[in-house]
Amino acid sequence: MTAYAIEAEGLTRRFGEFTAVDAVSFQVEPGEIFGYLGANGAGKSTTIRMLNGLLAPTRGTARVAGHDVARDPEAVRAAIGYMSQRFSLYLDLPAIENLLFFGGAYGLSGAPLRRRAEELLELTGLAGQAGAITGAMPGGLRQRLALAGAILHRPAVVFLDEPTAGVDPVARRGFWRLIRELSAGGTTVFVTTHYLDEAEYCGRIGLMVDGRLVALDTPAALKRTWVPDRVLVARGQGLGPAAAALRAVPGVRSVEPFGAGLHLRVDPARVGEGEVAAALGAAGARQVVVERGEASLEDVFLAVVGRGAGGPEAAP
Amino acid sequence: MRERIRRSLVRIGAMAGKEARHVVRDPRTLYMSLGMPVVMLFLFGYGLSFDLDHIPVAAIDQDRTAASRELIRALTVSGELEYAGEAADPAAALSGFRKGALVGAVVVDRGYARDVLAGKRVPVQLLVDGGDPNVANQVLAKADALVRAETRRLAGPDLAAQAPPVQVQVYTRYNPEGRSALFLVPGLAAYLMAITAVLLTALTVAGEWERGSMEQLFASPIGRLEIVLGKLLPYLVIGLLEFLLVVAFGMTAFDLPLRGSGLVLTLLGFTFLVGMLGQGLLVSVIAKNQTVATQAGMLSSLLPSLLLSGMIFPLENMPLPLRALSRVIPARYLVHGLRGVLLKGNGLALLWPDLLAQVLFAAAVIALATLRFRRRLA
Repeated sequence: MTAYAIEAEGLTRRFGEFTAVDAVSFQVEPGEIFGYLGANGAGKSTTIRMLNGLLAPTRGTARVAGHDVARDPEAVRAAIGYMSQRFSLYLDLPAIENLLFFGGAYGLSGAPLRRRAEELLELTGLAGQAGAITGAMPGGLRQRLALAGAILHRPAVVFLDEPTAGVDPVARRGFWRLIRELSAGGTTVFVTTHYLDEAEYCGRIGLMVDGRLVALDTPAALKRTWVPDRVLVARGQGLGPAAAALRAVPGVRSVEPFGAGLHLRVDPARVGEGEVAAALGAAGARQVVVERGEASLEDVFLAVVGRGAGGPEAAP
Repeated sequence: MRERIRRSLVRIGAMAGKEARHVVRDPRTLYMSLGMPVVMLFLFGYGLSFDLDHIPVAAIDQDRTAASRELIRALTVSGELEYAGEAADPAAALSGFRKGALVGAVVVDRGYARDVLAGKRVPVQLLVDGGDPNVANQVLAKADALVRAETRRLAGPDLAAQAPPVQVQVYTRYNPEGRSALFLVPGLAAYLMAITAVLLTALTVAGEWERGSMEQLFASPIGRLEIVLGKLLPYLVIGLLEFLLVVAFGMTAFDLPLRGSGLVLTLLGFTFLVGMLGQGLLVSVIAKNQTVATQAGMLSSLLPSLLLSGMIFPLENMPLPLRALSRVIPARYLVHGLRGVLLKGNGLALLWPDLLAQVLFAAAVIALATLRFRRRLA
């Protein structure tokens, strides 16, 4: 027996010639929030499906909540909660009946089930919504209901596959508060996302590119390792046309538009704030202010995926 | 072990309860499965009757004697053929056929009364609109019988004595009046149950795929068989209600007799229903989306149970390949079995082959569906 909540060893899944997940290995501690990042098609959902027993691995092994996924899928299923990418609630039923059904699917029944369902409505801030028809609820509430359905049976590990896709930022923030509460209560959370801002909430992050796990660490460590350059932020007028000139300056590694300003990565030994301001001014920009910035996970993602040529999913 | 069974029952119950709630939330399912049979029974039982009644027949009476008038009266007195007035000549009758005002015309030649009394062969001509062969055949048969009876009555025992010594007499047992309702209700029960059962299950399981909730279910401890059982249970109840409704309605509205045992009747309906639910399951496991499942479900239930069950078209008249095909259509066995138990009072001693065929079909189709169900999941 291991003390890890999730343990993957050389996990591989092929569909014909295509290798969706390629020899992925990692461990997740109990109670950890483990973020799994990557573009669409990078192999996130396939990894989850192998971990929760929906797909058999082509090679490699995985243990979830102490049970081998291939050998004892039933025990795994009873120990985990899963919220799939698509909301799979029954839209024609009231919120409470969705919970009662999923509770029943996990073998809960009677008064304990009803108490637990009501407790979860309370916890997820849906206490007033018990009788509301699920299909008429706004996306953010529905997604909290789906989470409630996935944790009714107090699973040791919860898999959330892009739980916040298509939900507004306020609702996303509320949802992540719930995830942190879960984790504080000892539940292990394995969550995939392509919102890089919310990945900051994770204890550790695994980065998937084309089926391979290419980076795995805490957000801070990832930034240190992958973005050794200094990050500078330039603001002012007429920056757009001047950006091209900036790229020609030796020591400037990358220049990206960021809001109304520019986000650049420079070699600190060769370029400082002054040089950047001077170069921009020479190229016709006015009222230029250049400040130190902090590397974001987006910078990490771009660095990992390959020298700033990130996929469309990279943008928050 | 007990705990395992208890949990399994809880899961099946949760599934069945959820499915029942879907039905309650969307009563269209109930209308479709319990309202449609009543409408269909009315349509088939009254509208789509094969009984001959009030068939308009004209007379072209060229003899104009008491005997000829008596013949025409005798032909139309029963009400099956209805006297639609006199036509001047055959051409006028034909124009009546074209307009649809007439289906038949009796032509009585001059000298009919004289020849009948003289004991001669008397030709009486019958013109029939052959546009609907079914009606035409029955008009011919009825008119023929009536004319013979009338001729015998007129000719008296003398002529009767000259008749051939061997006479064929036809008795129709079990449904002497040839009422189509008696004949149709068993077929209709098969037809309606086939459609609702196949369609309802096909839709509910395909909906689960389409919604993505099937994946959610597979990630939970609920087993495949538990999903299947839980899903089928509510529809089994609805289907049985529908079946009993059709039979009860047939008994009250059409005086359908129940000469055999109600238990055998229910057993036949039950096994048929399980087979149809299994067929719906198979369709949805293969189709995986509601649109395809609806069409495949309709085609695979409606056509065979309508055409190959013997409900309307006698199996005996079909070409060999179709007759062979009908052997794997459970509706065929249900129709045969129901007619046996309703009209003839047959028991299991005679009906066990029908029952067995239905059980085999149900077992095969559910096994196939579960197998496919499993394979699609990695």
